[in-house]
Amino acid sequence: MAKVVVDAMAMQRALTRITYEIIERNKGVDDLVILGIKTRGVYLARRIASRLQQLENVTVPVGDLDITSYRDDIEHDAATDPTVSAANINFSVAGKKVILVDDVLYTGRTIRAAMSAVMDLGRPKSINLAVLVDRGHRELPIRADFVGKNIPSSQRERIKVSVSEIDDRDAVEIQQA
Amino acid sequence: MAKRYLILEDGSAYAGEGFGAGATTSGEVISNLNLLGYQETITDQIYHNQIIIFAQPAIGNVGINHDSYESILPTAKGMVVRDVTNISTNRLSRLSLDEFLQQHNIPGISGIDTRHLIRKLRKMDGPVKGSIVDVADAHAFDQLNATVLTNRQVDQVATPKPYPNPDTGKNVVVIDFGLKHGILRQLSERRCNVTVLPWTASAQDVLNLDPDGVLLSTGPGSPLDLGEGVLEMIRAVQAEIPLFAIGLGHELFALANGAKLEALPVEYHGSSHPIRRIITNDIIYATQGQGYAVSAKTIDRDRLITTYVDLINGTVQGLRHRDYPAFSVQFFADGAPGPHESRDLFDEFMEAMTARREG
Repeated sequence: MAKVVVDAMAMQRALTRITYEIIERNKGVDDLVILGIKTRGVYLARRIASRLQQLENVTVPVGDLDITSYRDDIEHDAATDPTVSAANINFSVAGKKVILVDDVLYTGRTIRAAMSAVMDLGRPKSINLAVLVDRGHRELPIRADFVGKNIPSSQRERIKVSVSEIDDRDAVEIQQA
Repeated sequence: MAKRYLILEDGSAYAGEGFGAGATTSGEVISNLNLLGYQETITDQIYHNQIIIFAQPAIGNVGINHDSYESILPTAKGMVVRDVTNISTNRLSRLSLDEFLQQHNIPGISGIDTRHLIRKLRKMDGPVKGSIVDVADAHAFDQLNATVLTNRQVDQVATPKPYPNPDTGKNVVVIDFGLKHGILRQLSERRCNVTVLPWTASAQDVLNLDPDGVLLSTGPGSPLDLGEGVLEMIRAVQAEIPLFAIGLGHELFALANGAKLEALPVEYHGSSHPIRRIITNDIIYATQGQGYAVSAKTIDRDRLITTYVDLINGTVQGLRHRDYPAFSVQFFADGAPGPHESRDLFDEFMEAMTARREG
């Protein structure tokens, strides 16, 4: 049984608010780069970048980060941590303010791996994290700077994010296991 | 029905049939281009002391209902319409428009070619005074010319005392400049526990209530007549608490952050202008009612971001502070009357309050 907790309108608003909060926190968009974590984080990252473009008339570089081993919000394999590698990043992150974008923040292991991947590319000025959903159950000392919606969840539940670019619609659903 | 006249300060007189109250009144004459929502319009305090000309030719055909009051005591000075329809079959109707106007001592005049009149008004400079009178003689024009329009509208319609509108959700302080009930209705739908404060409240008065959010309401008249104190209050509050401002509140928010206002050549009251939401580059429609607009070239881009723009007259329709979760819209986001598609600005306000408390 799936229950929609964020509908299309609410998702649009969440991304809009996150965009404004990024401007507030960074005092503008200078030196910003946005990195989306595959798969859905990439589309969210592009939407945030297009909003920044609309508002500030500045093109913020957007890149992708690829998770190779597993999605920790879908299956939990305690034996291996995810590895994240840079893909489609044709700009330098050295000295930049990096905004990592992911759809769901869960254990924090993906984000830790993503941060390592970014550090391997160069030394950014800062790394911030924007997520559409924070569902709790962290296993590492990681928190998001920009949160679309906090959804306290049980570990048995599955949080499913759909984005219209690759799914049939924009929505966040909770599915009972 | 009795023959009555609408007279204007330029010496013109328009003969029509009286309806509603038989009172003789004077006020600024303005045009309303909305197709729908005459009840919301006549009860909205932004029309305090004004005589409203309706472009929509048939007015009164859904009567007066319980759900569409925008104030308890309407203080408009008159309605000018093409045809008044006093037969209503609307199931929500409780009163006819005629009875309602009689109760509130507001005169109406029908049988006027309102669209012709509106075109004429567009060519006249500045606020135009008019009266609804029984006889259009020299005495009536003398009386009209001797009438001085007030600039104390907010004091006359806004609450002088705080009052609560209790619920169980977020704590919201509404600063009342002559609010429309649509704002309270939208907050009630979202279960907000509202305290309405008079517009003379200080920043400390607001902060003492420890609100999750603060809303600056709509209201009549010019924000330039309200003085510096309210601007200081806004600057102090926006730095502490999520803030949402509408209409007159938006104009004050702009002034408080260094922008200037310009008087529009003709006041605009309607809902047919496409408004671009810049961040997502899409179009919305909303009811607008404004005599002033924020002057785009005076906006300090280091402090404010322009968020909405009117695509017909180019006016700034929305702003957001760069450093704080504080934002404003010129149009009436409560959607009473008119298109409802900007109501989710109230959801944006709710989510800004949630983000602030959780962050």
